[in-house]
Amino acid sequence: MINLLPLIRNECLKIIKKKRFYVILLILLILVPMFTYAQMKVAERSQNKFNSDWRLEVQQQITDNQNSLGSDRIPEEWKAYRRIFVQQLQYYLDHDVNPNEPSGVTFTREFLDNSVSLFIPLLIMAVASDLVSGERTTGTIKMLLTRPVKRWKVLFSKMTALLMFVSLIVLSTFLVSYLVSGLFFGYKGFNVPIFTGFQINGDSVDMTAVHAVPQWKYMLMQGGLIWFVSVVVALLAFMVSVLVRSTAASIVVMMAALIAGTILTNMASAWTTAKYLFMVNLGLTGYLAGTPAPIEGMTLSFSLAVLAVWGAVAVIISFAVFTKRDILN
Amino acid sequence: MNESKWTWRSVSVISIAATLILMAGFIYAVNDIINPVPDAPLTSLPKQTPAFKDGAEDELRIVALGDSLAKGTGDNTGNGFVKRAVTTLSSEGRTVELMGNMGINGQTTAVLQNRINEEGVQYALRQANVILLSIGGNDLFRGSEIAQNGGGTKGQAEAPAPAGETAGPASTPGTGSGAESTGDEELSAEALLAALPEASARLGSILERIAEINPQAHIYYIGLYNPFGDIPDLLVPGNQAVTSWNNAAMDIINRHGNMTLVPTFDLFNRHLDKYLSSDHFHPNGDGYQRMSERIVQAVR
Repeated sequence: MINLLPLIRNECLKIIKKKRFYVILLILLILVPMFTYAQMKVAERSQNKFNSDWRLEVQQQITDNQNSLGSDRIPEEWKAYRRIFVQQLQYYLDHDVNPNEPSGVTFTREFLDNSVSLFIPLLIMAVASDLVSGERTTGTIKMLLTRPVKRWKVLFSKMTALLMFVSLIVLSTFLVSYLVSGLFFGYKGFNVPIFTGFQINGDSVDMTAVHAVPQWKYMLMQGGLIWFVSVVVALLAFMVSVLVRSTAASIVVMMAALIAGTILTNMASAWTTAKYLFMVNLGLTGYLAGTPAPIEGMTLSFSLAVLAVWGAVAVIISFAVFTKRDILN
Repeated sequence: MNESKWTWRSVSVISIAATLILMAGFIYAVNDIINPVPDAPLTSLPKQTPAFKDGAEDELRIVALGDSLAKGTGDNTGNGFVKRAVTTLSSEGRTVELMGNMGINGQTTAVLQNRINEEGVQYALRQANVILLSIGGNDLFRGSEIAQNGGGTKGQAEAPAPAGETAGPASTPGTGSGAESTGDEELSAEALLAALPEASARLGSILERIAEINPQAHIYYIGLYNPFGDIPDLLVPGNQAVTSWNNAAMDIINRHGNMTLVPTFDLFNRHLDKYLSSDHFHPNGDGYQRMSERIVQAVR
C-alpha cells in the first residue's frame, strides 16, 4: 500500500517543472495590462465627455439603451436584455450608487465576469489537457504504470494535483488583475456597495430581493462560482486527455467545445435543448450580477446541476477508461 | 531536492487555503442567489441635489430632452440640433458644456411626463442652465393613429412600466414613412387635432415641472414643423394642426419668464425636399443646422 500523498506531490512537481503554470502567469501578466489600458482609455474618454459626473453618464447610458429599444431592427431577445439593463441602471441611480466606480477592485470584478466562460477555462486547459495525453506522447506513461501502484491511484493523484492548480489559477487570476489594474485605477474600492439579487422574469426585473453587498464579498462569491466552473472544465479537459492520444488533439477538442459554447450562448436562445450542454452553463457569475441567462428557463440551480452531472460523468469515464485500457504505443 | 520540497510545501499550502476560501465563496454565493435576503430600503436615498453652483457665470450647461428631434434622428452625422448648437456656441467663444441628451425616439408627452420624475433625469436637469425641449411631434402625428387603433396601445402609452422605460407605443425611430402610410388614409385636420387638447395640457405640465425642478434654467421649446407638407392632401390639415399646436405651446410658454419658443415651422415650409431626411419625417443634417441656428440666436 503506497500512500497517495507522495504521488500527488510528484504530480504537482511535474506540473511545475513543465512550466505550465508559469506560462499561465505570463499570459495573465501580458493580457491583463492590455485590458486595463483599454479600460482606462474608455474611462478617460467618458470622464471628459460627462464632466466626470457619473450620474450624467449613467443617465445617458439609460437613454441610449431606451433609444435602441424602439428600433425594429434589434431582435426581441436583445431588447429584453436591454430592458433589464436599463432597470438595473435605474436602480443604481435611484440609490445614488455608481455602478462603475473606477477602481482596481471594480476592474477585477468586471474582468472576471467577462472571463469566466472562455478566458479562465482556456487557462485551466493549459494545465489539464496534457496531464495524461502528455505522458503518452512522450511515452513516460509506461514508466509510470510499471511501478507497483494501482492505476486508479495514479489517476487520482493526477486529478488531485489538477484541482490544486485550478484553485491556484483562479486565485492568481484575481491577484494579477487586481495588482495590475490597481496601478492604473488605485487599490481601493473593497467596500463599494454592489447590488445583487435581481430576479429576472421574462423581460422585467423583480427588485424585491435586491440587496447591497460590499464589493469584496461580491468578489468572494464570484470567486466561488468561477472556481466551480473551473473545476468542471478541468475535469472535462482531464477526461479528454485520458481519452485522446495526443495533447494537441485534446486541446483542440476542449477548445472547440468552449468556443461552441460562446457561439451558442450568443445565438441559440431559440434552441432550448442547448441548455443541457455544459458550455452554455459556464456563465455562473451572470446569476450574481443579474444578467439574463442565455436560454430561458436556466437558473443557478439548473446550471449547477448540469455542470455537476457533466463533471461527475467525466470523472467516471476517466477512471473507467484509464483503469481498463491497454497501454500500447 | 530541498528546492522541490520547498516548492511542494508552498504550493500545497497555498492551494489548499485557496480551495477552502473559494469553496466558502461558492457556498455563500449559491446560498445568496437562491435565498436572497432583501435589504431594508436603503436609507441613502439621493438628496435633492442643488443647482449647479461652481462654474463661471456665462458658462452654458445644456441638457436636451424630448423626442427623436432632440436625439438627432435623420442627421447622418448624428449631431442633431443639440450638438450643432453646442458647436456653434463654443466657436463663438462661449464655454459650453453638454450635460446630456435625453432625447428618445418616438417619445410622446405622456411618456416624457413620467420620465421627468425619474431621479437621473431630474439630476441632469438640475445641472443645466439651458434646457432644450422638443416634444409633441409624436403626439400630433401618431396620436391620431393611436386614437384609431383603440384604447389598447394608448393605455400602454400612458402606463409605462415601473421604471418608466417603455418607449411608448410602437415608438419606432425612422418610421416616419410608416406613420405617413397609415396617415394617408385618415390623416385629416380633425384627426390630428383630436390629440391636441390632451397633449398640449401635458406639454404645459411638463414645462411647469421642469421649471419647478430647475427654476434657474432657461427652457427653450422647439416648435413643430409640418413634415407632410409635400403631400398635397396633407399640406393644409398638417399646417393647421401644427399651427394650432404651436399656438397652444406659445400660449403656455408666454406665461413663464424663463421659457422661449423657438419656431421652426417657417424653416421647413416649402423646403421639405431640401431639409428633410429620407424618411420624410425627420430633418436631415442641413435641416438640423437651420434649427440649431435658431436655437443659437435664442440662447446667445
